[in-house]
Amino acid sequence: MNSKITGDTIISTKNISKTFSRDIKALEKVSLEVKQKEVVVIIGPSGSGKSTLLRCLNGLEEIDEGSITIDNTPLDGHHHNRLKIRTEVGMVFQNFNLFPHMTVGDNIRIGPRHVRKQNQAEADQITDELLKKVGIYDKIDAYPRQLSGGQQQRVAIARALAMNPLIMLFDEPTSALDPEMVGEVLEVMKDLAHEGMTMLVVTHEMGFAREVGDRIIFMDEGKIVEENSIDDFFDNPEEKRSKQFLSKILHNGGC
Amino acid sequence: MELIFRMNIFQSVSEKITKLHRHLNILKVRQPLFYETVKFLLFSTVIILIIAPGLKGLNYRWQWYRLPDYLLLKTKTGISAGPLLKGLSVTLFISVISLCLTVIIGFATALLRLSESITAVFISRVYLELIRNTPLLIQLFLMYFVISPILGIGRLPSAILALSLFEGAYTSEIIRSGIISIERGQWEAAHSLGLPKGLVYRLIILPQAFRQVLPMLASQAISLIKDSALVSTIAIYDLTMRGQVAISETFLTFEIWFTVAAVYLIINIALSQIIMIFERRLKKVDL
Repeated sequence: MNSKITGDTIISTKNISKTFSRDIKALEKVSLEVKQKEVVVIIGPSGSGKSTLLRCLNGLEEIDEGSITIDNTPLDGHHHNRLKIRTEVGMVFQNFNLFPHMTVGDNIRIGPRHVRKQNQAEADQITDELLKKVGIYDKIDAYPRQLSGGQQQRVAIARALAMNPLIMLFDEPTSALDPEMVGEVLEVMKDLAHEGMTMLVVTHEMGFAREVGDRIIFMDEGKIVEENSIDDFFDNPEEKRSKQFLSKILHNGGC
Repeated sequence: MELIFRMNIFQSVSEKITKLHRHLNILKVRQPLFYETVKFLLFSTVIILIIAPGLKGLNYRWQWYRLPDYLLLKTKTGISAGPLLKGLSVTLFISVISLCLTVIIGFATALLRLSESITAVFISRVYLELIRNTPLLIQLFLMYFVISPILGIGRLPSAILALSLFEGAYTSEIIRSGIISIERGQWEAAHSLGLPKGLVYRLIILPQAFRQVLPMLASQAISLIKDSALVSTIAIYDLTMRGQVAISETFLTFEIWFTVAAVYLIINIALSQIIMIFERRLKKVDL
């Protein structure tokens, strides 16, 4: 494993289960530990529960059983704890979910201003810095609909980063993008990983996984089937199910 | 995934429709003015031919010259509002106050219906069903004859309350439909930033919902102004009541009813124009 990882556990889930209506088991006794600065890539066929797992980690879905602790705060029924965890955990969605009635700048400012309670000058400064970082400072006064998918997703990443989170969750961040825009979003994510952000990434981008991932989790039918280092997983997977999945996606050129 | 797919289809279809409209507008060549004039004259003649025999039978003596006295009073000290304009001010007063209350009641009821509390949902459902399934006129009578003595309120407040409760029920459904039309991703993005529920509504959901339902809210406001004519039944001297009184004094039935109708028409057209301008301004920055 990578030497940058300091060893403090920041995310810990114990036996979490989640059942949707009509007995669809989305998660079944999933236990997971993530250390600070670790980049964990989650892969698996659709419906395997990988997105649900991410969504449970910031309380967008409620778990039926088990426990989740993030940065020593339990994600339990307490409203206060849930809000605190959400301020520490940034999330990037497949469909960007930018606020269409606000400019790019306002989309990013909203967290610092209304959750972190920073003053206007501080929020403006953060916004400027982040937009420069993701390379679209010139779009600060544009509305989301005026941007390409790749640009929108970079704004969405900046919006989450503006909260100065400890952890970033990425839920298939490039799946809704045109192929030529995937690269620009992955670049921003790679930079983040190199800066030492703790990241959980659900993706089909195997090149990304190999380049910046520290660990890979393969899920199927709501369970973690294999948890392995990146190199071992690709070169020498332990489980038969993982082998099948890998051979499929590698044949199709990485989905 | 499926949802995006559907949205994409929806967008592409609506784009195609707007393109089609543009094509049709290009194809639509204006016919020469002469033919249009002939058509209009023919249409008018037919209407007049249908109505004219009946008009003779009515044997009505039009006296439009007497009407200005009911709009403006000329006294020694100057000009003041006549009965009809006084009535108009009452109608406007009732409408404006009821409109404010309607919005408040509508919002509150919509939020109650969307809340997680069963009691809140139950209360709002009972209110909605009671209001929407009984006539406004009966509600007005109940409010005035039964409830207002209990609450100890006068004629005007009970009229305003009855109107607000009635329009509030419809408004709440409009607002609710606006709120639930906002896609789930918006809620999730807002929640994921750690915004508390109140701010999620105020900053993210309501501004978008408001843009969606503005045309429907406008037509509700117009309904309210028209429905306010019913308060004349509990002897409030609004525009309609003043009209009735003036007719009983003068027998200028046609002139006064036409005038009263025209006044309502002018108010409501003005209102919808203002809202249209507002809407256009919102569209410039949105979606």
